[in-house]
Amino acid sequence: MGDAAFADNPTPVSRRRLPSAARSDRRFKWLLVTPAILVILAISIYPLVFSIWVLFVNYDFQIPGHAYVGLKNFRQVIFDPVARYSLLVTVCLTATNVLIEFLLGLAIALAMTKTFRGRGIIISIIIVPLFISPVIVGQAWALLLQRPFGPTNYLLGQLLGQEVTISWLTQWPWNFVALVLADVWQWTPFMFVILLAGLTAIPPHVYEAAELDGVGTWQTFWHITMPYLAPMIALAVTFRLLDSIRLFDTIFIMTGGGPGTQTYTVSYYLYTIGFTQFHLSRATAGAWIFLILTLIVVVFLVRRLLKQEES
Amino acid sequence: MADVKITGLHKRYSGGVHAVRGVDLAIPDGQFTVLVGPSGCGKSTLLRTIAGLEEADEGTIEIGGEVVNDYRPRDRDVAMVFQDYALYPHMVVAKNIGFGLRARKLPPEQIKARVAEAAEMLGITGLLDRYPRQLSGGQRQRVAIGRAIVRDPKLFLFDEPLSNLDAQLRDEMRTEIKRLHQEIGTTMIYVTHDQIEAMTLADRIVLMRDGVIEQQGAPLELFERPATRFVAGFLGSPQMNFVESRIERADGRLALVFDEGRSLPLDPARASAFEPWAGRPVTLGVRPEHISRPADGTARKPSDQPIDVLIDLVQPTGTRTYAEFKLNGTEVTVELPSHTVEKPGTTIELVVDMSRVILIDPETRDVIPG
Amino acid sequence: MTATVSAGPAPRRRRRGRRLPIGRILLLGIYLMFILAPLYWVLITSIKPSDDYLAVPPVWFPDAPTIVHYTAALFAYRGLQGLINSLIISISATALSCLIGTLMAYSLARFRTGGMHLSFWVLSQRFLPPIAIILPLFLNYRLVGLQDTHVGMILAYTMFTLPVTVWMMYAYFRQMPRSLEDAALVDGCTRWQALWTVAIPLAVPGIVAAAIFTFIACWTEFFFALVLTSRDAFTLPTVFRAFLSFQGAQYGEASALAIVSLGPSIILGVLVQKHLVRGLTLGAIRG
Repeated sequence: MGDAAFADNPTPVSRRRLPSAARSDRRFKWLLVTPAILVILAISIYPLVFSIWVLFVNYDFQIPGHAYVGLKNFRQVIFDPVARYSLLVTVCLTATNVLIEFLLGLAIALAMTKTFRGRGIIISIIIVPLFISPVIVGQAWALLLQRPFGPTNYLLGQLLGQEVTISWLTQWPWNFVALVLADVWQWTPFMFVILLAGLTAIPPHVYEAAELDGVGTWQTFWHITMPYLAPMIALAVTFRLLDSIRLFDTIFIMTGGGPGTQTYTVSYYLYTIGFTQFHLSRATAGAWIFLILTLIVVVFLVRRLLKQEES
Repeated sequence: MADVKITGLHKRYSGGVHAVRGVDLAIPDGQFTVLVGPSGCGKSTLLRTIAGLEEADEGTIEIGGEVVNDYRPRDRDVAMVFQDYALYPHMVVAKNIGFGLRARKLPPEQIKARVAEAAEMLGITGLLDRYPRQLSGGQRQRVAIGRAIVRDPKLFLFDEPLSNLDAQLRDEMRTEIKRLHQEIGTTMIYVTHDQIEAMTLADRIVLMRDGVIEQQGAPLELFERPATRFVAGFLGSPQMNFVESRIERADGRLALVFDEGRSLPLDPARASAFEPWAGRPVTLGVRPEHISRPADGTARKPSDQPIDVLIDLVQPTGTRTYAEFKLNGTEVTVELPSHTVEKPGTTIELVVDMSRVILIDPETRDVIPG
Repeated sequence: MTATVSAGPAPRRRRRGRRLPIGRILLLGIYLMFILAPLYWVLITSIKPSDDYLAVPPVWFPDAPTIVHYTAALFAYRGLQGLINSLIISISATALSCLIGTLMAYSLARFRTGGMHLSFWVLSQRFLPPIAIILPLFLNYRLVGLQDTHVGMILAYTMFTLPVTVWMMYAYFRQMPRSLEDAALVDGCTRWQALWTVAIPLAVPGIVAAAIFTFIACWTEFFFALVLTSRDAFTLPTVFRAFLSFQGAQYGEASALAIVSLGPSIILGVLVQKHLVRGLTLGAIRG
């Protein structure tokens, strides 16, 4: 108990008449949010506003000066085929990752719903990937897959009875398989944890009633489990979708976007434009387009989640 | 020690709820006032506004002659006991009780002495080193009360303090709160939805409904002379019976006539007050205890009116038996001595004490004086 | 909704035995191998002598484990410097984020400050793509001299973790009874005292959980660190850049560094397993 907290309080009761106790409450509640708002303004909002200026000038470390260039930066991004290709890659990778993670996470969660010996330990192991840096996840899968060092090709060779020489990180379509593997490895536990929480929250008497009514397993799943689980699924999928479209770290470590620009995602594309070619204005224009595309999704999905929360 | 005066108080919440709609209330120094009413009637909001936890939108609150509207809760010198006890779980009992004194920077020795004194008074001296989670519900409530009395405030506020306790403990704590008030004599305002608590504790009951005061007065005054059908129905258990009826003149006397044909002559002593109502519909209000078996042999009071009824439900409680019959299509409950009726389906003769019944204007729902 | 991911018994009970059907054992077994395989391989590689790298068949467990890769990763590749930077930045950002996040959460939970708009605005920060913020942030950091500094990284990570702390603590305060603070106010506290002597001490378990999630997020973050640091304030994950250019030779060092980095966050993560659902969903689902 810190008595220091009482320091500004004179003995015994201050009869100071405030202009209004309510007004001081109002001041208090805004005072509390001020530091957080300042940080967000300084680190997130101010740079964004500043970057609006960058959009319409030439901000390029290779070209001196900041001449006004109008919409040229936007034009350069929109008409860059690599930009459009990277958007396509992002959408496809996101869809594939989230779909596999959802299905696998649901299967594991269903398999783990009932108690059995060792369940606690298995859960502890399953969630481990969530606490590992994506860079390390990428690094680990690179080690496991990479020719000639990784054991994967050897094991596949033993299994199939013939020599396997796949270049997992540089050869289409295996480079995408490798990226999906790493993402699924890291984020399936996310789906698992949320869906398991949803499954264990379903009241057991619902299942008992269904069993008494003679409802089959499959019907029970579709008509009882899934409707109960639906809000959790919506939440988990929303979170994963919004995180997955930023995909960058594993690309950076595993394929470096290659071969060529084959595994460019939007984040990786903008990173190379901005930070290896230093076309900062062009990258900013691209980032704004991406931001607006994302915001549409955020506003749509997150508002719906919030409404669910409220009710 | 202080009186409390509330004038024209309004409280609206941001969601558009108008919780308190113009309350005027004067509580003399030392009085035990109970605010009672159904949930959502604004009684808790009124109490929280007196404490300063809610801001009054209109009107004034005076404590001890001082307008406190602009005072923070800590500057109003009131103590409050909460429904969930609101004990600080991270402090032992002694710290809990002494918290208000520490907040006011009293010297530690003095805090210790006053905490010990309060604990002694409530019989919780042995619990001072325990944490709230180690206490039973009754002990927690005692600590919460100790936290209030140790500060010796001008005014005590209780917000449904007994509703989390089981029935037996509730009776016990009720007695203790009443005794506490007699000992220290400080003004107390007590909120409850339980009419028995209100009746037993209060010097004065303030019955609220929909954000306004429906009626206030001494407990028995409200019980015996309710001003409205709502008050009549709220106080008393089992509830007062209400039966639709009409006043008709027959043989020069006024009587309640029911559609089904039965009639009950009014008490001659009160009949004159109901003259203007002759020929008009009224609602009869009669408490279960005012219908009884006719006494054997002894002379019947002139106000007692016999009525033959077919009992259709019997609920023995041990000491008394509650029986129900239909009057004019409405179930009427009567309280009878045990073994008066054993089985539904019996027809018995009962008498209604017409000197105790009330008549209500079915339109305004006000009790007709008389 | 209440649910649990901890080891407690699942509420679904049936009369049939507790033994799992063979299909489930197979599914769980394969999945566990899938989870453990990369971890095992990284661990083994980190203690494997370099000569064993290209052996066919692969060396599943080295005959002569070595720690040379650890010393090389930590000293030759400045892994130790990255570790220290990561500790300084993650701990400072966690403290700052939890402090100002808790204050904001309290205000939002108790006073509904700014209504739904302010809370939504904070939450939306969580879903902004980092690439959109990082470009302008990078330009501004260069202008004001925060590029490649600890302070710059601490501020960036505070911002980046604020939505998580605010929303986790918001959910925590919402389920904490209000009457305790009311009692403190009537007892003689100012709002500020009621916050520090009652609300915050009672919220400590929630703050600890939020702090651990915040720390893990900072500890594992890569993208901001990649762009905003270079020679001085670089964090542990960015050290992995060093191994990209030399194909093959630094397997052991990369693995050793990976083990050093994932150790603390896994231990912390398993410790807050109970709060995992709340942490992952920003408090939207109570764990």
